[in-house]
Amino acid sequence: MILDVNAYLGPFAFRPLRNNTGPSLVALMDAKGIDRAVVSSAAAITYRNAQAGNEELAAEVRGRADRLIPFAVVNPAYAGWRDDLEACRQLGFRGLRLYPKWHRYALTDPACLELVDAATEMGMPISIPMRVEDVRNRSWLIDVPEVPLAEVAALVAARPDARFLLLNGAGYANGPLGRKDSGLPANYLIEISRMDSVLTDEIGRLVAGLGADRLAFGTGMPFHYPDPSLLKLETLRVDEADRRRIAWGNAAAWLGLG
Amino acid sequence: MTEPPREPASRRSFLRRSTALAALGAATGRHVVAAHTTEEAPAKPKVIDCHAHLHHRSRPSWGADDAALIDAADRLGIDVLCCSMLTPKRPATAEGFRECNRWTAEGAKRFPGRVLGYAYVNPGCGAEAVDEVRRCVLGYGFIGVKLYNEYFCTDPVVFPIIEAAIELGVPVLHHAGRIHYPLADQPRISDGGRIAELAARYPKARLICAHVCGGGDWEWTIKALRHAPSVYLDTSGSVLDDAVIEMAAKVLGVDRLLFGCDMSMTHGVGRIRGADLPDDAKAQILGGNMARLLAGRVR
Repeated sequence: MILDVNAYLGPFAFRPLRNNTGPSLVALMDAKGIDRAVVSSAAAITYRNAQAGNEELAAEVRGRADRLIPFAVVNPAYAGWRDDLEACRQLGFRGLRLYPKWHRYALTDPACLELVDAATEMGMPISIPMRVEDVRNRSWLIDVPEVPLAEVAALVAARPDARFLLLNGAGYANGPLGRKDSGLPANYLIEISRMDSVLTDEIGRLVAGLGADRLAFGTGMPFHYPDPSLLKLETLRVDEADRRRIAWGNAAAWLGLG
Repeated sequence: MTEPPREPASRRSFLRRSTALAALGAATGRHVVAAHTTEEAPAKPKVIDCHAHLHHRSRPSWGADDAALIDAADRLGIDVLCCSMLTPKRPATAEGFRECNRWTAEGAKRFPGRVLGYAYVNPGCGAEAVDEVRRCVLGYGFIGVKLYNEYFCTDPVVFPIIEAAIELGVPVLHHAGRIHYPLADQPRISDGGRIAELAARYPKARLICAHVCGGGDWEWTIKALRHAPSVYLDTSGSVLDDAVIEMAAKVLGVDRLLFGCDMSMTHGVGRIRGADLPDDAKAQILGGNMARLLAGRVR
């Protein structure tokens, strides 16, 4: 079983995406052998009112709850975010995606911490993509930096009872997020799509330094080809039990998938 | 939480496939090539990574790192790696690039049949750079020239290198990128437009525009190369973006695409595996086109 914790639906502002509707993403998942995927709205990254993107996503996911798991993009710097969070809970959203750099707030701002606490109270994991696109690809219109891993480490330390999914990141193995002995709580899973399983083998180094129980499979589809992540999973030098934990078990446990 | 009951094998087959076979798809893998040794089965083209690097020996772990590159190629079904070695400090001196090329030649001997060499030179070294290109191709048996960002590819100082490469029948792999912001550390990076301009000046040159998936706006690069039919596009790079290969195939044609990783190994292989193209087109990209390029070398 494979659970992709890093997938999206809807349009993106700066380039066309294929397979970004509910039916087409499920068809891609079928073709690639991916059983379930956590999805959020790609449009909500650049919409001023992210909730409009969440509502579009809810419509795409409807009738596909056996395959697609909706996460809400909530901007704690925008009016009405508490109402949006409650509305998303009622719509069946299972977690959050935060874009602190795109939406211009800090992860440790009081409003963001309040959002994290509220989501945790609702049993929602909180996912944070470190970036949307490679910085070299960005449009001349924008200059959005990646989320520094140090800022993520500060948040996971500040909210030990929350559960975080760290997406689209790399370079963990060289810092505190990649080590068991760093003093950080074990309240985060690291998604693998940007790291490699051969040569530099950051995924293998994280298995050694942090543990296979702290990694989760993800692709970034349809922004990304899903195949590189599938290849990482196949070539990773771990036993089959650990491979299943990364492919499914770790994230499935957090999402309550039976 | 325990894993739910397994679903039918067709949806779980990824984890059970032979890794190398699965890596590149059934039609093209290195191990498939090895299996096709009987008379009735024609040999498939080798899988050739057009853009790789051996590690500079100032790095204490260079030997292990080079071995890890070969291990990665083994696990991913890559037969041949076309490698250069760059000086850690650039612009490179003539002494610096000669040392790199000597070590690349030694690497090709350490990994026979797996590593082919590009001659890395700084065109600013003038005759020393041209002489080094000749020495590497004719002496070491290198298969091409690697140019980085010491100069724009359209700067006249580069022309003697291009002329030597034409004479020797070898390709020039040129570092490239189109980033919509100034790159302070790469003020002379060439983009696809400049490489197309160079191709117009030297239509007999075999130019390779490097790492479209690590060179910024790939849509720009592909469109810039459309009317430069002698320029090949190297598909390597760390960026995982969907649909690059399909757009490149549509705009440039499959026969102008060269598979590469530039050390982002699963990314390089995965994007070809994931591309929505027929198996024969993938085989061309994975090795057929590069094999054709390599066949032009003067011996």
